[in-house]
Amino acid sequence: MKTNKIFQLTFLLIAFLSINSCVENNDFDTPNISVDPVVLGPNDVVLDIGAVIAEYNQRGEIFTYESLPQGNRYMTGYVVSSDEGGNFFEELVIQDKSENPSAGIVIQVDVSPLFTSYEFGRKIYVKLDGLSVNVSNGVVQVGVRNGDNLAKIPAPLRAQHIIRDSEIAEIIPLPVSISDFSEDKENLYIRLTDVQFSKAEIFTDLGRPLTYAGEALDQFDGERTLQSCADNSTVTFSTSTFSDFKSLLLPAGKGTVDGILTRDFFDDFYTVYVNSPEDINFDDENRCDPDVLDCTGPVSTSVVVFEEDFESITNEGQLDGMGWTNINVSGGSERYERNSFSGDSYLKISAFGTNEDPLEAWLVTPGIDMDNTTQEELSFNISTNFETGKILTAYITNNYTGDPLTTTWTELDANIPIGDSGFGDFVSSKINISCLDGTVHVAFKYLGADGGAETRYHIDDIKVTGM
Amino acid sequence: MKKTLGIILMFTLFQIHSFAQNSVSGIILDGDTEEPLFEVVVGIKDANISVTTDKLGAFRIDGLADGVYLVKISKKRYEVQNYPIEITGSSINLGKIYLYKDASTEQDLSVITIADDELNADDGFTDNIAGLLQSSRDVFNSAAAFDFSATFFRPRGLDNANGKVLINGIEMNKTFNGRPQWANWGGLNDLQRNQVFSPGISANDYTFGDIAGTNNIIMRASQYGKGTRISFASANRSYNGRVMASHSSGIGKNGWSYAFLASRRFGNEGYVDGTFYDANSFFASIEKKINEKHSINANLIYAQNKRGRSAPITEEIFRLKGRQYNPNWGYQAGKMRNSRTRDIEEPIVMLNHYWNISEKTTLNTNVSYQFGSIGNSRIDNGGTRLVTNPNGQQSYIGGARNPTPEYYQNLPSYFLSFYNLNAFNFQNAFLAEQEFINNGQFDWDAIYLANSISTSQGHNAIYAMQEDRIDDNQLSVNTIFASDITQNIRLNASLNYRGLRNQSYAELTDLFGATGFLDVDFFAEENSNTVGSQLLNTIAQSDVRNPNRIVTEGDRYKYNYKMNADVASAFAQAQFSYTKVDFYVAGNYGITTYQRDGLFENGNYQGNLSYGKSEKLEFDNFGLKAGLTYKISGQHLINFNSAYFTKAPTLGNSFENARQNNRTVRNLQSETVRSLDASYILRTPMVKARLTGYYSDFSDGTDINFFFTEVGGAFVQEIITGIDRRNFGGELGIEAQVTPTIKLKGVAAVGQNTFTNNPDVYYTSDDFGTARLTYGSGKTNLKNYHVSSGPERAFQLGFEYRDPDFWWIGATANHFSRAFVDVSALKRSDAFAIDLDLIDTQNILQPSYGENDEINISGNTFNDYDENVARGLLRQEQLNSSFIVNVIGGKSWKLGDYYLGFFATINNIFNVTYKTGGFEQSRRVGYRDQVDEQSQQYGPVFGNRYFFGNGTTYFLNLYLRF
Repeated sequence: MKTNKIFQLTFLLIAFLSINSCVENNDFDTPNISVDPVVLGPNDVVLDIGAVIAEYNQRGEIFTYESLPQGNRYMTGYVVSSDEGGNFFEELVIQDKSENPSAGIVIQVDVSPLFTSYEFGRKIYVKLDGLSVNVSNGVVQVGVRNGDNLAKIPAPLRAQHIIRDSEIAEIIPLPVSISDFSEDKENLYIRLTDVQFSKAEIFTDLGRPLTYAGEALDQFDGERTLQSCADNSTVTFSTSTFSDFKSLLLPAGKGTVDGILTRDFFDDFYTVYVNSPEDINFDDENRCDPDVLDCTGPVSTSVVVFEEDFESITNEGQLDGMGWTNINVSGGSERYERNSFSGDSYLKISAFGTNEDPLEAWLVTPGIDMDNTTQEELSFNISTNFETGKILTAYITNNYTGDPLTTTWTELDANIPIGDSGFGDFVSSKINISCLDGTVHVAFKYLGADGGAETRYHIDDIKVTGM
Repeated sequence: MKKTLGIILMFTLFQIHSFAQNSVSGIILDGDTEEPLFEVVVGIKDANISVTTDKLGAFRIDGLADGVYLVKISKKRYEVQNYPIEITGSSINLGKIYLYKDASTEQDLSVITIADDELNADDGFTDNIAGLLQSSRDVFNSAAAFDFSATFFRPRGLDNANGKVLINGIEMNKTFNGRPQWANWGGLNDLQRNQVFSPGISANDYTFGDIAGTNNIIMRASQYGKGTRISFASANRSYNGRVMASHSSGIGKNGWSYAFLASRRFGNEGYVDGTFYDANSFFASIEKKINEKHSINANLIYAQNKRGRSAPITEEIFRLKGRQYNPNWGYQAGKMRNSRTRDIEEPIVMLNHYWNISEKTTLNTNVSYQFGSIGNSRIDNGGTRLVTNPNGQQSYIGGARNPTPEYYQNLPSYFLSFYNLNAFNFQNAFLAEQEFINNGQFDWDAIYLANSISTSQGHNAIYAMQEDRIDDNQLSVNTIFASDITQNIRLNASLNYRGLRNQSYAELTDLFGATGFLDVDFFAEENSNTVGSQLLNTIAQSDVRNPNRIVTEGDRYKYNYKMNADVASAFAQAQFSYTKVDFYVAGNYGITTYQRDGLFENGNYQGNLSYGKSEKLEFDNFGLKAGLTYKISGQHLINFNSAYFTKAPTLGNSFENARQNNRTVRNLQSETVRSLDASYILRTPMVKARLTGYYSDFSDGTDINFFFTEVGGAFVQEIITGIDRRNFGGELGIEAQVTPTIKLKGVAAVGQNTFTNNPDVYYTSDDFGTARLTYGSGKTNLKNYHVSSGPERAFQLGFEYRDPDFWWIGATANHFSRAFVDVSALKRSDAFAIDLDLIDTQNILQPSYGENDEINISGNTFNDYDENVARGLLRQEQLNSSFIVNVIGGKSWKLGDYYLGFFATINNIFNVTYKTGGFEQSRRVGYRDQVDEQSQQYGPVFGNRYFFGNGTTYFLNLYLRF
């Protein structure tokens, strides 16, 4: 009996204490993360992105929005960049409208990742008071001021400066053609139609297309060339070496690319970044490459029809009298020059240091008689040095007018290597030209620009054999 | 209370010669009240005689032959006293003998409670006080358990993997790391009073043991005195409250006995912020005494324990947020939520058979089965989605940064780590500082927001809660034989088998509102050699047999494997006791096998490299020990113990990275332990003292660390083998009963624990396949560095006042010094001096899959490398000494049949701030980086991380027994 009472007492004590001993470590409510529409105060001012850019253009140097006596100054826009794939880092690109935008701007924020708060299509309000505007890397950007430079908005301040609105818009890419690129289209989400990656990047010596940015030479960004099928115009396509898709291969077909138009780091040229490979829609497997000479059948080396190893000349001027055409057609003076290394003579061309932009130079061989032989093969050696873009093309014709610009050329499928930041080795090209008759001329066209694509090429050992 | 060591003599002796022939007599009085004590058992074991005192407390034993005897005087709830006598044709009157209330009746409770309260069991930093709980009457061990433990003091510098914990003779140390998992039986304090502790490597009836001692907890229904106990505790250390109730039947007439206990420990926050505590324990024991020879006992031990974890912090974080700061928690919808929790639930069932084969011989056979799991949760921030390139190739985009609020780029030091600091840097640092001070907690909203955005776009989770699960199923069987073959010789032997069947895996436990998580390795990356080969699709897979799986809550992901471990051992021991000398000798032999069985085929380690069974590892181990006690007189004893044995590496140190592959550690060896100690023990009525010198030597140890390092830019496993180290020093404990109520005590521990060689070290990573990366000589120059093992020096002065009116109070002042941080082995390897910028690491650190592939990086010393500067950079940090005062007191009442009492402790009453330990980070350990880090005016970005001791805390316990 007594024991029972004690047990009852014990039980009650334990029950009482247990009730008071709940520990909160599970069954948590989901936090309220819904977003309310931004409501502005009566004295708040909303600026268009275009107005901010215009103000910068008017001032021409970094400036800071000071506080208003009452209310705040805001800029609104729709997020069109995404760092989900790692191709953008600590920046948001916003544009003024979801469709047919007219202005875009970059917001620098010291926060990573951003896509988990400001997703693609999200409308945001940027409180400008205390922020600064400047041109960085060629485009107008908003951030905080560090001396005369623009810096990222510090993470602790981002919540007060970047405010999410409840609207998430469907962003309609702005159709633009490469030839229409202009300053007012910078930082917009654009669509390029009927484009492909350049042939040289798809059909490489590696036996595979180049990757987006995974090649050993890619530093910071992998820069590739997108080419318009309509007019052959090209634009650089950039991918960060920190992107998650950097080691994927460039797709071979053609189609549309949706991305953000901006300038490269040094503000030298336009370039396009995508948010993810999903924004490349190459559903057409057929490329629009120019036709190249395509002869089939056997080739022979038993008879040398033409050979020039440049060992007999000491100056390129000597070539002029030997039936060669070596001219600058872009108004400058730089042309192919004789050069030598370790006792080997060759021709060299580079736009580096020439002050010529563009620099277009042609080298055309003397006429080569193909009527007395069959099974002809053309070979030559090219080395690529200080690579900044592939800008040499080889052609052939059997109807040379004497002026490379009026001649109808057939492109050759030449092995023009992609070099690196130093000197490269000679790489040989062997091209079947047995289907050509008459007098043929082989040509090399160099199209570069000082400070831009200014790759230096060496050309040597041009030879035609047959039987 | 059974004791095998430390016979405590506390008596007043008047030796009066009488003319009666060969008798012993005396009067037993209560030491506090001086009232005579009746029914005190007075026995002479060697003569097989036992009498009880009468109502006047008197006893007399006649008819003894000449000889030397040990008189044992015992009464329940009083301290046992032993008194050696020599009779040579005369009688001895021992006069008045005072028996003292068994202080441990109260003290044990507090000791165990404190231990239970503070045994955090955070990997590798558990104090080794477990085994000391029951030796609390040894003044040194008592100090170590009570007062030193809060500073990570480890007796003799030993990790608790160097001690054994047994329950009813069955070893409970975990196969994975060799350490006892105290949470498995936490909260059962009231029914764990029966413990037999053998300090050091001394003789033990059950097992060979180890050099930090063996603690056998006896949990048998028949061994609990009849009664009911209820207690309530309040504290602010790890839990806030504890309720416990137990009842035991004693042995009934029909031979049945039973005992059970239920307890709950709870708290929303311990001393450190956000560390909740949620533990429920249950114990039931039933025993049947079949006849005089046979008894069978069955136990169920169920202790479930879930806790919020804290994190070691840097000096900078401490400066900004204080020692109670914990980056792991944040508010979620108004409630504190900890992002890193530990959940332990590993019930034990056991059956014990006790067989008294004869009066002198016993055989005890035990079977125990333990099952359940340990889960450690953390945030997985690598959520991605699959995107397809127009050419059909796939990649994974997404992922987020480590969301911890103390991420290095959130702290002021990061903004001040640049060259040519200007106003802008300071402004950013200030903003970061204010942000961290005001909002430096985990941001759950950001986690949910990210997943909600992702989900609304039809994508996968970015964040998820990952629980690393260890599901152990362990069967233990052993049989323990003991026989007193003569009066002087006792023989022990045992056979043991332990089989562990483990499954380890990550389980996704919370999607934070998302619908699924893509199970690929976000960090997988192709290198320049494999670029474009589409390898990424494969190497990112946690299981190439089920690629690109979307997992949801409750699914296993990331890694999944089994481990089998089997340990069989045999032990034999002979103990000899003679008048002047006791000695023992024991031997042990064991076979250990380990095997991994991969259930996922990891993309980096295809085929049998990760899938299916690994090589089977086998270790044959043996041990020998011997010891001697020489009794100069009853008051002066000298004791020696020595041991030489080998220990199989732990399961956790045998595989390079069990989560990813089947590879075993190169040159894996058993560790050899050599140990020697010698003690002088003094026992006078006034003063009790023990002085011990010890020397322990370890060779061929193994250790594995995991971390991300910028040296080579990879997440690596650091595998250190052939570690030699040495612990030596002395212990002194002395206490003086200056008056019947006042006791003074002094304790000193002085030791040195250092590495004695430069061990081998190599690194593995999925970035380099199965290749092993070494730097230079392949050594880490650890020789003469201190092993981080708590303060090497600890001193205590204390007193205890025990009032006859059943209250007591004590205080101790404790000084700790010479504690060292754990050094980075990578920083002491040749990697420190190599200028990796001069080396094409991109090309050298390529995956290769040869059986013995090794990548060695050497030469290329920094051209500005300065030996003197380097020496400064490599100096091991010694933590500041600390001075801590603790107070303890209690009172008890007897109300009829009820005992009511309380005791309370206040630790660190002066609220001293002190570090208990720390470690170097291996993230930026190159010479130039270290020059930068250590010369940073505003502190390093990757500075040492520290564990801080608690400020002033209390513990209060109320108990009722009847």
